[in-house]
Amino acid sequence: MINFDNAATTFPKPLSVRQAVAAAMKKYGGNAGRGGHVLAMRTSEALYSARETVASFFGAEPENVIFTMNCTHALNMAIQGVMNGGGHLIISGMEHNSSARPAAAMALKRKIRLSIAEVYPEDERTTESFRSLIRDDTKAIVCTLASNVTGQILPYREIAELCRERGICFIADGAQACGVLDVKMSDGINILCTAGHKGLYGITGTGLLVTDGKFSIAPIIQGGTGSNSLSLLQPDILPDSLESGTPNIIGAVSVKAGIDFVKKNGIRHIFSHEDRLCRLFMAEVNDNVRIYRDKAADYVPIVAFNIGDIPSERAAAYLAEKGFCLRAGYHCAALAHASLGTKGGIVRFAPSVFSTQQDVLRLTEVINNMK
Amino acid sequence: MTVCTVEMPSYTFAVKAERLLRSRGYNCKVVRKERSANGSCGYMLHIYGHCREAAEILDKNAVPYKKFYDDGGA
Repeated sequence: MINFDNAATTFPKPLSVRQAVAAAMKKYGGNAGRGGHVLAMRTSEALYSARETVASFFGAEPENVIFTMNCTHALNMAIQGVMNGGGHLIISGMEHNSSARPAAAMALKRKIRLSIAEVYPEDERTTESFRSLIRDDTKAIVCTLASNVTGQILPYREIAELCRERGICFIADGAQACGVLDVKMSDGINILCTAGHKGLYGITGTGLLVTDGKFSIAPIIQGGTGSNSLSLLQPDILPDSLESGTPNIIGAVSVKAGIDFVKKNGIRHIFSHEDRLCRLFMAEVNDNVRIYRDKAADYVPIVAFNIGDIPSERAAAYLAEKGFCLRAGYHCAALAHASLGTKGGIVRFAPSVFSTQQDVLRLTEVINNMK
Repeated sequence: MTVCTVEMPSYTFAVKAERLLRSRGYNCKVVRKERSANGSCGYMLHIYGHCREAAEILDKNAVPYKKFYDDGGA
């Protein structure tokens, strides 16, 4: 079995992550931030250490790192939490449903007004598309750093600058970018939402919301935080205000180990390895394969393609029979597929740091023989 | 040397304060002790050093705390 579905979740996980998870299962059996006995204190310390690692990786303060279930959870918290009082929201036409659905739900209930900015291959046109939609009551812009369908990198620093100039909250979806691009809060991001289990190589069930603390995020979940227990009101300090209930401590430990792995290998090295495999894939497939890339755009290591007029799901099913794991269909991204004008979706090639040239050549050989 | 106890608003800030003060040469430790019913997380920071200076360091670095006790937290 050869996995090229790493944009969904990376597999295999690094040995260091697996070892950290196994050790955490043995060692961190207490609840974090709740209790003073040895197990609780040891576990609390491990969670804080994971928070510090994430904070240092993205350039944030440890208390501004919120552990979530996944990127979708983080995006829902950010969008609903920032837009709580209403206002105008802009999202890109390349957003995953994790942003598009909460935004659409709030707009349908008339809680907010929603605009969708078209995305073009040229960064200037995309930035202008956002600029033209900004109004006096625009409260936030949600933009993916890189499309989960095509891998196109959006001009997020330019969009962040638009936000900074106007006091608009910039919420970034880093699910496909973190781990392959050197994403920092200093890029102008106010709230970064990302997965822990993709390019950061943690286990599934992990996500992150990282904030610079400049915009208030109303909690969408309230409950036990281990702090201010006698009050019926949710604490207003981070991370407690956004982290109700027992956190995924083992998951947080895995994210720490995953980030350490990424740092050890180097983001630039990981990107260039995976990008080289994408270029090899594109060079080796025959003319019957349509690649969804534009010369004017930059991409993270993802290639969207179709094989002749074979429906994407059928192509992926055939490849699965031959031992290759690739995701087909719409990738939970209705807006992106509408923007691309795909019919029947696409197949997505997404290597990881563990993918090899030999694996890519095996795949392209099978694809080139498909009719 | 003075021993004081700082009541913290959350475990996260207790550890943040501990790391900060340790980096400035203060011997300190996060302990669990219910002391005040109002706004506490139950985590306190024992500091073996000058309380006023420690408070100034926390203030300067925007680390919130609830209350300082100069009695060693007894």
